[in-house]
Amino acid sequence: MHNLESGLLQTILPFVTVPLRGVGVQAMRDPDEDLVRRVGAGDKRAAAEIVRRHLPRMVGLARRMLGDASEAEDVAQEVFLRVWKHAAAWKPGAAKFETWMHRVAMNLCLDRLRRVGRNGGDVPPDTVDSRASATRALDDRQRRERVRDALQKLPERQRAALVLCYYQDRTNIEAAEILGVSVDALESLLSRARRTLKTALAAERADLLSGLETG
Amino acid sequence: MNEARFVELLGVYGADLVRWPEDDRGSAAAFLEVAPHRIKDIWESERTFDHLLALEKDGPASISLETQIISTAPARRPLMGASSARGLWAIPKWATGGALAASLALGFAVGYANEPLRDVENDYASMLTISGGGAGSMYLTAMNDGGR
Repeated sequence: MHNLESGLLQTILPFVTVPLRGVGVQAMRDPDEDLVRRVGAGDKRAAAEIVRRHLPRMVGLARRMLGDASEAEDVAQEVFLRVWKHAAAWKPGAAKFETWMHRVAMNLCLDRLRRVGRNGGDVPPDTVDSRASATRALDDRQRRERVRDALQKLPERQRAALVLCYYQDRTNIEAAEILGVSVDALESLLSRARRTLKTALAAERADLLSGLETG
Repeated sequence: MNEARFVELLGVYGADLVRWPEDDRGSAAAFLEVAPHRIKDIWESERTFDHLLALEKDGPASISLETQIISTAPARRPLMGASSARGLWAIPKWATGGALAASLALGFAVGYANEPLRDVENDYASMLTISGGGAGSMYLTAMNDGGR
């Protein structure tokens, strides 16, 4: 499903006339509608505003998917090049613009992961790290590193679902649209992702719990 | 909302009900209010896990990246109305008609002016040259052919 061809197809869909399923998406006015129209007309101020509004999320999504800050910036740049290219043809009401940007960013990340054969490991880490007992006093920075590592070890589909719903604040309907799966399939991915992470981060979780109890 | 459904959604979306499906949020909040301690403990445990995941939050994007991307944005196009989509070299319909008329007029003028001095073969060649081989020259070619 998520080969390059399907990714490109999904990328251009909002510029054709295919409406999204999901009631809430179409009923609300797109908060980016006016900005996108102005960007399409060549308004530099609108372009700057749309970059400031969406760049952190685009970089965040790509960094979590690719595990590399430099590559994440490349992806973010590519996303905005597509925004400049397609803004004039944007049709309000077909899909929220931010959802389309997420879809473009996610497809670019998945394409990169496949090109270099990185898949996050298909075998979930099902054993608690042996260093667990020795790391009772982890500070937040160390914990953050461990969470990053654990995220990178997730299979890419699970990681994508978790990143979209948890870190990018997409609704379940939007996330399912972006990944091209049903909501049920998305929930299955999310559930497995959380289970895998809980196992991988058992030590950190226990440490955090004890910190909360003693603090 | 029952216990099984609550625990199932908890395992999918985590403890923050804002992330739950819109249709389930209200009933989930109401269920949690009166839920037994066992369920509340599970919810607390998921909340701790959410805190752990939240450590990996986004920082602000770098200013240099922001500036670089903004610099790639296209600038405003010249105001050319509806014809701008056809590009700078596109010729409007009225201009095409005008060019045809001008070509015809030029062709006739040259033809009449030179007729006493030249034979048919020379007329044909000069008209092609003067009118630039446009629509007018084609018309005059037909006239010459008809006169033979």
